Amino acid sequence: MEDYEKLKSEALKEIAAVQGEKALEELRLAWLSKKGRIQALMAQMKELPKEEKPAFGAAVNVLKQAVTAALEEKKEELAGALLEEKLKSEKIDLTLNAYTPSTGTSHPLSLVTKTIEDCFVGLGYEIAEGPELELDLYNFEKANIPHDHPARDMQDSFYIDPTHLLRTHTTAIQMRVLEAAHGHTPIKLICPGKVYRRDDDDATHSHQFMQAEGLVVGEGVTVADLKGTLEFMISSLFKEGTRIRFRPSYFPFTEPSFEVDMTCHICGGKGCNTCKHTGWIEILGSGMVHPHVLEMAGIDPKKYSGFAFGVGLERVAMLKYGITDIRDLYNNDIRFLKEFKSFN
Amino acid sequence: MKLSLQWLSSFVDLSGLSEEEIIDRTIKAGFEVEEITRLGQGTNLVVGKVLECVPHPDSDHLHVTKTDIGTEVLDIVCGAPNCREGLKVIVATNGAELPGGIIKKSKIRGVESNGMLCSLYELGVPKELLDADSPSQNGIEELPDSFEVGETGILEKLGYKDTILDLSIYANRPDCLSMFGMAKEMAAILDRPCRLPKFSGAAKEGGPTSLKVASHTENCPHYMAKVVNHVVLKESPAWMKAHLRANGVKSINNVVDISNYVMLETGQPLHFFDLRSNPQRDITVVDDYEGDYTALDGITYAMQKGDILITSAGEPVAIGGIMGGDGSKILEDTTSILIESALFDHAQIRRTANRLGLQTEAAMRFAKGLEPLAQEKAMDRAVQLLKEYADADGLEETVAAGSSNYEPHQVKETLAHLNALIGKEYTLEQAMEVFRRLDFRPHLEGEEIVCEIPSWRSMDIKLREDLDEEVVRLTDFDDLQSTLPDLPTTIGRLTPAQQLRRLIRDDLINKGLYETVSYTLTDEKNTHESLYPLGEAVKLASPLSDARKYIRTSLMNSMLESLSYNVTHGNDDANLFEISVVYAEGKQQERLGILLHGDLSASRIRHEELKADYYVLKGILYDLFDRIGYNASRIRLEENTLDHKHMHPYRSAVLKLGNEVLAVFGQIHPAYAAERKLSDVYYAEVILDTLLSNKPASVKAPVLNRFPSISRDMSIVVDKDVNADDLLKSVKKSGGALVVSTEVFDVYEGSFLPEGKKSVSLSIVFESKERTLKVEDVNPLTEKILQDLIKKYGASLRS
Repeated sequence: MEDYEKLKSEALKEIAAVQGEKALEELRLAWLSKKGRIQALMAQMKELPKEEKPAFGAAVNVLKQAVTAALEEKKEELAGALLEEKLKSEKIDLTLNAYTPSTGTSHPLSLVTKTIEDCFVGLGYEIAEGPELELDLYNFEKANIPHDHPARDMQDSFYIDPTHLLRTHTTAIQMRVLEAAHGHTPIKLICPGKVYRRDDDDATHSHQFMQAEGLVVGEGVTVADLKGTLEFMISSLFKEGTRIRFRPSYFPFTEPSFEVDMTCHICGGKGCNTCKHTGWIEILGSGMVHPHVLEMAGIDPKKYSGFAFGVGLERVAMLKYGITDIRDLYNNDIRFLKEFKSFN
Repeated sequence: MKLSLQWLSSFVDLSGLSEEEIIDRTIKAGFEVEEITRLGQGTNLVVGKVLECVPHPDSDHLHVTKTDIGTEVLDIVCGAPNCREGLKVIVATNGAELPGGIIKKSKIRGVESNGMLCSLYELGVPKELLDADSPSQNGIEELPDSFEVGETGILEKLGYKDTILDLSIYANRPDCLSMFGMAKEMAAILDRPCRLPKFSGAAKEGGPTSLKVASHTENCPHYMAKVVNHVVLKESPAWMKAHLRANGVKSINNVVDISNYVMLETGQPLHFFDLRSNPQRDITVVDDYEGDYTALDGITYAMQKGDILITSAGEPVAIGGIMGGDGSKILEDTTSILIESALFDHAQIRRTANRLGLQTEAAMRFAKGLEPLAQEKAMDRAVQLLKEYADADGLEETVAAGSSNYEPHQVKETLAHLNALIGKEYTLEQAMEVFRRLDFRPHLEGEEIVCEIPSWRSMDIKLREDLDEEVVRLTDFDDLQSTLPDLPTTIGRLTPAQQLRRLIRDDLINKGLYETVSYTLTDEKNTHESLYPLGEAVKLASPLSDARKYIRTSLMNSMLESLSYNVTHGNDDANLFEISVVYAEGKQQERLGILLHGDLSASRIRHEELKADYYVLKGILYDLFDRIGYNASRIRLEENTLDHKHMHPYRSAVLKLGNEVLAVFGQIHPAYAAERKLSDVYYAEVILDTLLSNKPASVKAPVLNRFPSISRDMSIVVDKDVNADDLLKSVKKSGGALVVSTEVFDVYEGSFLPEGKKSVSLSIVFESKERTLKVEDVNPLTEKILQDLIKKYGASLRS
């Protein structure tokens, strides 16, 4: 009779020593196949006396199980090693250049426009537009700037003929919306758009630029409301918590009128080169809608009041992004454009 | 407006106020301070006398002086060419702080120097504010003998101790363009009394005159004239010269200076004629003169109907309110003058001055408007000064055409309305106090504060809101609280056009394109070379230049210019889009331009690139339209018959939505591109209005087929000019409902095929929603598809 233990240790030794999956399979066949050594052992059973058969069978089974388990274990071990080797061979240089999906950018002026629009849509404002080729009527007359008004010196315009011109401010849109409202209030609107003035182009002047104006008309609208609204807008454009101050000014379509300064977005008001050490930066013009403007639109100035403001979008973009030449916004150099991946 | 604080201090007591405080309060009251010029700065300045002046032993231009300053005699080295013995000079002693630095005891080329002999320039007076013949232009200042050695306060005595604020004055405040007006304003701002010189009624004096004055135009409603005899021309007093200088006016002689000085004081432009030029002693103001007139500047102007002219005996002697003539100017031997103090219509002056390009000081002031009583005030003041400083004694009585009267008008406001408009809690006392400071003589009538508006504020204070602004201007406003309007709720939203623009932007940016913004105005050539122009281009009446003369009728050329700029600057891969409205006579339209040039994406390391071509552009367009609700089945692609000049005739197409043109796109014509030194440019001009007038489809979830599909590929050979799309349509028609998709996956033209033939490989996918298809279902269909292609297009299967 065979010594089971010897056989077992012989099998386990062979299994432990085997290299490669093919050799392992050969080993498996040598031990476990129909012609294998364990099957050969089983064949000896029929020659045994009846009473010894069960014990013999059980012992061979134990041996078979042990060999089977050892083979399985070895198989897994080999597969693991193989996988490890394969992974190792797949090692790459993690620092090589990435494949960048090509995406473009919005123009910075579009980014500023969108931010302003979103800020006011949230406050229930309508976003209005109007023609750039405008009637003198809406650009000047209805905005309380009659013919030969001295204020027209401030805005030398591109006229097409005596009644048509390229609009000089988006105030023209306000005047159209006011008229279309037929006296109904409240009116809350933002009107962004291109405007044109007869300025020679240089680093700080452009014959074409963009504005966004706001208009609110209703009962009990105050200068304090204007201040709160502008603070909200300017905080959205620059930094949360930016403060503003009003300086009295003059616009024909508002009374009282104000220039608005904001705390410097660079130094926060402490004083730096950007704000010329004043802590403040002039950002926009505003005021309470002139009673004549309301009257011309059929709104009773005794009952209703309103505020209006206008901000130059180039100015916002230039301050925010540190652009020093306004023409950069119109040259469309991709090296410039590609930096404006987001509003911030 | 140049505001000299030194001059201001003669009307308003500025003591106890720092310069910073004055400036701060001026700004808060609504004046922008554009520039601050500080004249004559420096400490430790004393009058000295040069006792000895010898050349420096080691220099060819320096002098070594012994200078007496009263308390001691100093050794000072000086480089000024005019330094000489006996001169009275300004000495900055050791420790003096000058604009250029601090003066210290030093050795200059081996010689000790204790101080500095100064020019006014070195003490901070800009050269343009110095007299042309001032010694300080090129050397040290030479003090007159009236200065005592050891004396201080030199700059004050010379009239050079001053701070000049350059204020910008808004169009509603022409009163602040005059010194008297500005003094009243500053007195109100600083809450101090204003003491103006008394001259009212000075022009009442005068004997009989033969002078006759008439105005034949309503654009000259008031013309005052007065003959003043026996004027003596001489130098103006130093204070007058200093004030003129601070305002950038050159001193000529006392009489001419007085006319300028009174204009600075009162805002009213005066004109002094030499009486010899008007022997008839008659003045008629007309506005119907047509003909040439040579003005003081020697230029001959063509006068038109409407222009205001001052005439004598039918001949013009001055362009009213703008410029006089050479023949009537004040000369050295002038003894009798005719003073004109008149009101001319601001609008007419503006028109004439603009047309003639004559923006004189007088024209500017008339155009901006004058206070109603300005003519009388200026006449009074001029007469007073001529008597005092030009020894005038032969006054004739004042003659006038028309008159100007001013009765103070009333403007009323309530405290309740003021507070309701501003959103602040002013007290009645605060409001009344502001109006008192402004000389509005406020009083109460019940709830109403009634203000009497003085003449000089009558142009801008008309409504209660104007009064509110005064309260805001003259009280602290930085403490205004911030609130939001308390109004009925409204819905905020974008218009369909705005939403569309945002969708387009987001999509094209994701596809790798950069958004541009370019100029609306363009030149004549671009206007003629428009792609699918909207119509007849709109032309500006007065363009700034030929380059910006027309409003663009299409976006193509603007985008080609953006491309050229980029190519010139080394950015060959330029894939751009722009959204803008274009205009034509009577029309406007919103458009989108898409331009491709070079690679859309590229990776060298992967040896991959996506080069711009017709198909890339077509794909960008179709995918964009699909994304925003217009899928390919709604869009018809047609041959481009619109423009073969700017578009490649065989590589461009027109897209239509319904019957409207949606886009013209393809390769820019190589010849046109070459004109701009460009090549291989692909461009689409998309009409966004077409999208806006056609409803976008709404998104529906697809029903997914649970039965598998079978696909068949076939390669056929057809004539070269057979369109792929026609083949696919034929396949679809022959295959019927079971054909769910078709695609061309390869096109081959080349030497393996007969001349004029191409091979097209098609992929056909069959699917049924009811059952799993079998080969027996598909094979007969595939055969039918092929037979139909053979019949219709003479196709043959490629072996």
